[in-house]
Amino acid sequence: MKTIVLQVKGLSKYFGGLKALDNVNFKLFSQEILGILGPNGAGKTVCFNLICGDYKPTHGEIAFNGQRIDGLLPHEIASLGIGRTFQIVKPFSSLTVLENVLVARGIMRYKSFSKIWSIWKSPTEKKAALEVLEHVGLADLASRKAGLLPLGNLRRLEIARALVVGSKLILLDESFSGLRPEEIAKMERLIQDIRKDGITVLLIEHNMRVAMGICDRIIVLDHGRKIAEGAPESIQQDENVIEAYLGKRTYANAA
Amino acid sequence: MNAYVITIATIIAINAITVCGLNVIVGYAGQISLGHAAFVGIGAYSAALLSTKAGMSFWSALPAVIAISGFIGLLLGLPSLRVKDDFLAITTIGINFIVEAIFLYIPFFGGAMGIGGIPTIMLFGLKIKGLSFLLLCVMFLSLILFVCWWFMRSWAGLACFALREEESASSSMGISPMRFKLLAFVIGTAIAGLGGALYAHYMRFISASDFSFPVSISLLSMLVLGGMGNLWAPIIGAAILGSLPEIFRPLVNYRILFYTVLLLLMIRFQPGGLLGEESFARRTLSSILPGIRK
Repeated sequence: MKTIVLQVKGLSKYFGGLKALDNVNFKLFSQEILGILGPNGAGKTVCFNLICGDYKPTHGEIAFNGQRIDGLLPHEIASLGIGRTFQIVKPFSSLTVLENVLVARGIMRYKSFSKIWSIWKSPTEKKAALEVLEHVGLADLASRKAGLLPLGNLRRLEIARALVVGSKLILLDESFSGLRPEEIAKMERLIQDIRKDGITVLLIEHNMRVAMGICDRIIVLDHGRKIAEGAPESIQQDENVIEAYLGKRTYANAA
Repeated sequence: MNAYVITIATIIAINAITVCGLNVIVGYAGQISLGHAAFVGIGAYSAALLSTKAGMSFWSALPAVIAISGFIGLLLGLPSLRVKDDFLAITTIGINFIVEAIFLYIPFFGGAMGIGGIPTIMLFGLKIKGLSFLLLCVMFLSLILFVCWWFMRSWAGLACFALREEESASSSMGISPMRFKLLAFVIGTAIAGLGGALYAHYMRFISASDFSFPVSISLLSMLVLGGMGNLWAPIIGAAILGSLPEIFRPLVNYRILFYTVLLLLMIRFQPGGLLGEESFARRTLSSILPGIRK
């Protein structure tokens, strides 16, 4: 039996009358890659934002390593060791690529009033940050201003920051969107490597084909509800999923 | 050096200290403040009251003055920093007017008459006046520059830079936005308090209008002119805006117009300030001295 890293129970988020997420349950086991799929407006990002603490759930529980984290603030959740990326990239534009990673390296210090006064511009910190950049393939751009990087590199930079924060779990929000096919292939390899290092990955993906390729297990959301869960092959055959993406078969026949 | 030059240099040094405080809030942490003069005023009034009413010396009152300014900064920052950008700008303008009104209408603060008879600073039994006061200000300025230099290299400073750039990304890295904004605000207002204390003991008479809203604007102009977020910007900005009005004395009636035009020109042609990234001065310097970029 694998250990459960993240458990979501009866998670719901209502915006007024709109049920953005409605009674969603799932478990995330250690060292797996779990994909959350669904068409636009299915509630994928809402689910993410609930886990990261950007929103408070209307109902339901979220537990990380057995500890309830729903209701905590984003920086508190981050300091538990959950790293994340953003669908719309959010680099620290006027800082260098290296400094972007260094900000993440402060994660354990920001909580303590006495530790924030030590110097971050040290060779040891720089070396550690460079190692992370090497891992994601950005080491040669370390001294470049983050705001000058193209989207593919920014997505890698976000993953680098998330890796520093999330030593156990990282959440990737559409890390493939807007990338060229060769960049997608590189990104797939990177995510596989991350899993090999013993880190659990939860990713949101819009593109079916990409998600099928790298996920161990997939959850499909539609209109805020979980409509399917299972291995990529079984998801591909699932009537509900085909209907959500392509419409009902009867319509197809009629047309 | 004649007394006239010393006076101008002293005012420039005091303003540079104050602008260093503003730089921590606006330049490092990215929280706009249009009410910085209020905190200079709080420092000046605390120093004036502690020396005239409580009979304390400048030196024994100084820790209290800095603590009071920082503490009031904390109290006022707590509600204000919940809002961002334009709303924060308006809130800080409000703070400036309220603080000025308190100085003006409450008799304890001297009302419209202000507070006079503030003693000169004594050091080793000597009165600190003229050139020695300038040296004292330069010493404090160096100390504050060191504090700012350290802050920029500390994790606290890095957290503030991250907040300035992208708030939600920084909170996903364990940075509590409220805590670090408040930290920057308290450091900035405490430095303003020090500037205010020096101002009070230098002028020996203060009144509410010395800390009015236009003063906040000119402090911010100095910072924008020098380049927000740059360690040396406060000195450059304070020196230029402190000496230009003296050089162009005949234009004194047009001072506000002059500031406005200068600010607009800066925003149009050198948005990062004179010492900012890609600025004219930076480029010229780095072509003469390669390797100055970092």
